[in-house]
Amino acid sequence: MKNKILMGLTAIAMVAILASCGKKPQVEIDATNAAIEAAKAAEANVYLPDEFAAVQDSMNAIMADIETQEGKLFKKFGDVKEKLASTSALANELASKVAGKKEEVKAEAETLLNDIKTVLAENSKLVPKLPRGKEGAAVIEQIKADLSNVDAAVAEAQTAYDNGAFMDALNKIKAAKAKADGLNTEIKEALTKARIRF
Amino acid sequence: MGKPWWHILFLSGIAIIITLIVFLLFYPVPPPPVSEMKYALETLALARENEADKYSNELYREACVFYDSAMTNWKSENERFIYKRNYDKVVAFAELSSKMALQASETSLNNSTNLKINLQENLKELESLIKKINNSFHAYPLTYEVRNNISIGKMLARESRVAFNERNYLLAEEGIVKSKSLLTSSYDYANAHLRSYFKLYPQWKMWIDSTIAISHENHDYSIIIDKFSHMFFVYLDGEIISEFIAELGENWIGDKKRRGDKATPEGMYKIVKKIEDDSTGYYKALLLDYPNAEDTVNFRREIEKGSLSSKARIGEKIEIHGEGGRGADWTSGCIALRNREIDSVYMFVSIGTPVTIVGSMYNLRQALNR
Repeated sequence: MKNKILMGLTAIAMVAILASCGKKPQVEIDATNAAIEAAKAAEANVYLPDEFAAVQDSMNAIMADIETQEGKLFKKFGDVKEKLASTSALANELASKVAGKKEEVKAEAETLLNDIKTVLAENSKLVPKLPRGKEGAAVIEQIKADLSNVDAAVAEAQTAYDNGAFMDALNKIKAAKAKADGLNTEIKEALTKARIRF
Repeated sequence: MGKPWWHILFLSGIAIIITLIVFLLFYPVPPPPVSEMKYALETLALARENEADKYSNELYREACVFYDSAMTNWKSENERFIYKRNYDKVVAFAELSSKMALQASETSLNNSTNLKINLQENLKELESLIKKINNSFHAYPLTYEVRNNISIGKMLARESRVAFNERNYLLAEEGIVKSKSLLTSSYDYANAHLRSYFKLYPQWKMWIDSTIAISHENHDYSIIIDKFSHMFFVYLDGEIISEFIAELGENWIGDKKRRGDKATPEGMYKIVKKIEDDSTGYYKALLLDYPNAEDTVNFRREIEKGSLSSKARIGEKIEIHGEGGRGADWTSGCIALRNREIDSVYMFVSIGTPVTIVGSMYNLRQALNR
């Protein structure tokens, strides 16, 4: 009889232990969130947006897994912990990759900036050669206005570059380059039409 | 002999506990909304993949909010006693989130496709407007503000083309809207200005016909200057025998109103003096009888109307002279030719040769299509 009682009590104790053994891995969750925040602070969302979104998706899925386990009588967070560790590692990797990508964008922006400056210098040299036909002053005035607007666009891009906003700078530089090239074509067309060598 | 009462009580207690445990183990626990939440997450990822965050932002945001609400509810339900949990709200939010995300996905695909088509059309329209402005107003004396607006408008159009080619439709749209507004207002302004100027065309036509008729009747030379095309025509017996490019006053559009306005006058004039070498600073010059009687009457009328200051003075000394070929409208109202051109004109003409200056020899449509 005594044994039966003891067995019953043991069974109750086991149920209680099993029900409470899986604890929410709060430390790992916090660590992963911190890694994601660090990647965001490193501008992973700007320079590697797809990879960053994938990490965020993983975290969302993990949070859903955690709630699934939280809903169970017997919780198991082993899998979740593994997933958190790998997501955390991914976020850390992303943060370290951002620097490389940033350098790439910076280099591209720098090259384009130099290209634009070359085009702008050429444009400035070509303007005085523009045909002085019947259209004269008005055309030159228009081209001068265009040149000054391209200069302003380049200055804006340069400011973004100097402030370290390389992605923003790159986009602005691309647009400014298109403007400078367009103007260069316009000037060259006018010169060719007037049979002026340049 | 029966068992002692405490023995019975103890066994009953054990039986109750076991029953309770069995009941707890086998009582249906509300199933967690795992599949609904997973589906919601998948649809959200799909929506983002379809750029719903850009092209159907409102629906996408709503889907995200519903998902967050589902998660919050799920968490709070999980904190309750297991048999008291109710995931109905969680499921409802998750389903709403999926529904919204799917809608956002579809809307985004439709919106981006439609936007692409619209932007393509808008860019074409914009580029054709730029062409029109270039053709009609390239050499037109516009204000600095209008010219600058045209320049910025053109730049924005180029920027939009780059953004469009890079599939950055929202940026392209923003640029197109700004560019369109600048270019359309500039074009409308220039066009209205030009149309209003060409309202004088019937009068110009009369002057032209009359000048050509005089040349024809007198078998003599006449000169017609077309300001819009910057052309200088020499007529003999009513036929053009020479034509040159003329450079005009800086503000050549419109009639001359007063001294110093740098406008070239419009009207029927005559050469009153031929000037050579030291007497002119411009190689050779043919002085016109500006202001004539009509100019004087018009000037006085403007003063009376108050559109000119009472201190304004009427212009004078309008000449056809040399030192032209600078490629700009640079005179204070005179007509400048190249020296070799003024040489030949100087030979043909004499005192009294008619010189008619008009805005254009052609009507607006013809002038723009030339």
